Amino acid sequence: MSESERSKRVDLLLKALNRLAVRPMTVMEVCGTHTVSVFRNGIRSLIPKNIRLLSGPGCPVCVTDQGDLDAIISLSEEPDVIIATYGDMMRVPGTFSSLAKKKGEGSDIRVITTATSCLDLARENLSKEVVFLAIGFETTSPATASMLMEAKETGITNLSITCFHKRTPPVLEQLAMDEELKIDAFLLPGHVSVILGYEPYSFLADHYGIACTIAGFEAEDILLGLVDLASQVARRNPHLDSTYQRAVRPSGNVVAQKLLETVFEYGNACWRGIGEIPNSGLRLREPFRNYDALERFNFKIEKILPPEGCLCGEVLSGKIIPPECPLFAESCTPVTPVGPCMVSGEGTCSAYYKFTRGGTISWEN
Amino acid sequence: MGKLTLGHGSGGRLTQELITEITNIFPDKAKLSELEDCAFIGNGYAVTIDCFTVTPRTFPGGDIGELAICGSANDLAVRGVRPEFISLSIVIEEGFELEELKLYMKSAAAICSDLGIKLASGDTKVVPMGAVDGIFLTTCAIGRSELNLPLGMTNLQPGDGILVSTSIGRHGAAIGASRFELEAEGLKSDCTPLWPALKDILDLEGLRSMRDCTRGGLGTVMCEWAEGRNIGIEMEEAKIPIQEEVASVCDILGFDPLYLACEGCAAIAVSPDQEEEALQRLRKHEICKEAALIGRVVDSHKGLVGLRTSIGGMRVVDMPVGEMLPRIC
Repeated sequence: MSESERSKRVDLLLKALNRLAVRPMTVMEVCGTHTVSVFRNGIRSLIPKNIRLLSGPGCPVCVTDQGDLDAIISLSEEPDVIIATYGDMMRVPGTFSSLAKKKGEGSDIRVITTATSCLDLARENLSKEVVFLAIGFETTSPATASMLMEAKETGITNLSITCFHKRTPPVLEQLAMDEELKIDAFLLPGHVSVILGYEPYSFLADHYGIACTIAGFEAEDILLGLVDLASQVARRNPHLDSTYQRAVRPSGNVVAQKLLETVFEYGNACWRGIGEIPNSGLRLREPFRNYDALERFNFKIEKILPPEGCLCGEVLSGKIIPPECPLFAESCTPVTPVGPCMVSGEGTCSAYYKFTRGGTISWEN
Repeated sequence: MGKLTLGHGSGGRLTQELITEITNIFPDKAKLSELEDCAFIGNGYAVTIDCFTVTPRTFPGGDIGELAICGSANDLAVRGVRPEFISLSIVIEEGFELEELKLYMKSAAAICSDLGIKLASGDTKVVPMGAVDGIFLTTCAIGRSELNLPLGMTNLQPGDGILVSTSIGRHGAAIGASRFELEAEGLKSDCTPLWPALKDILDLEGLRSMRDCTRGGLGTVMCEWAEGRNIGIEMEEAKIPIQEEVASVCDILGFDPLYLACEGCAAIAVSPDQEEEALQRLRKHEICKEAALIGRVVDSHKGLVGLRTSIGGMRVVDMPVGEMLPRIC
């Protein structure tokens, strides 16, 4: 698409949004990639003022509980262990340290981009144990499942995972029920929906009367999603829609769903700052349970509170925006992050800091 | 800061902190205080030093030998200094193949011959296996400027146009792609000496400042200018040249091309009346044919860099903090 076609399209979408946004509307974008795209494209500076955009619990690193983080970091101190992790986890602060610091102190920590690289790592390092930090939503859990199936089939034993995968629909229900938040509309995560399809979200409109659309990640995708949501709210007709049909099939990715079903079962999970949510996590099923790193190393997850004053939980559940946290841009900055939301590439606090410098400046348009 | 992390070597805010920790130990009488790519040491002579370690050592578009000469020579070139002499120090790991070493030296020698640079002095150390990762090269470049006034960020003024000499992020994207074994056809590092092109704009009176957008990329250089001079800078996203291959590697790995390292790209500030002339002269060179006007120094939001996004929104460009790491999804 040429630059002029693009700006025509954006212009069209913005005009539609201005016409439709007659009632004030609180929209939560659930996915961290949406949050970053909103900031990166400067979308807040373009949309009508009565649309309030809240960022939700969609950054996989940010929702990892403090106790889980500390366990992960402690595991890196074990002798003959290679930690394999997605890059986002490296700088996330635990109570006493971070993986980046541990690496500086000599721990063997490898950044990988796909779970399957763990198989090669394990094969190349037979005298060591490779521990994969399995975190993320339905976008990353199928890759973990597929990796474990192959490990089992090919008899790889020097490999285990810390299973902190989380499920999207239960946390959305928790937010939908929240009286304080009063969410009018959800901009639902495109990538997660590629796996899940439509059905797992249908309760949001049916039971809670919340407008929903599954949206893509380009600026135009997000604007189109907002146009759809504004139209649902204006017409008082909340339902589940998709403005990302080029990628999401109504039934989702059945192969990936099957993989998840084979390897994992539902379990309760702790979300940072939000607490335990029933059935919001994935646990290894019995045939795969011997791949659980916490059991292999006899690690118990301790209940550890986030650092005093850190309001990551309130940020993650959309109750406050980052500049309302007393630590934000004061003691908590990207150089000295207190919570993961300030350090993860998809963290809400990091995005607020990086793209608005703490919300202290406004632009003349 | 306790122990150092790789983030301290990333060229962003942590690197700045580390440099301050080091330079603070030197009293004022024992240092020069300019924070530019190279330092003028009297009679127009300028000096710079840079250490090179890269994985993989040979990458699409170059190798560590070529990089070591280009890197230091470019640090001189962006201040209008013709690179004339190189001092080269090599730290090699025991067991390193001599043939491989010679390969890198041939690449280095070829750049020196092309630019008329003379290898003036050097040092070699071989250290026990495991003490370094293969080979580390350090180059110190010396040259002399014929300009009356040195180029530098102190010359920046509101209204100045900001150009880039070529498309951004190619070195960082090429290295990132090889490191994560992504096949990106057509993607090559931009590693190249800038002097042959930059020398042609040195006589423009309106030329204010130039910077080599290496570690930390264009975004970091813009932040250093804005913060260093307390001026505002506005860039236009749609005007920043980015090759498709670079954009797609960034998409996959979650990198922001604004912060990706370049090894043959200069950011150039020039008075508004001479922008066009500068662009025309640059574009005559093959390595600068993608040169573009991408932004302007402004009188508002002092100390901050703003980006008008391609859909017309506005956002801040802040200095990156740690290493750029591939994201989770």
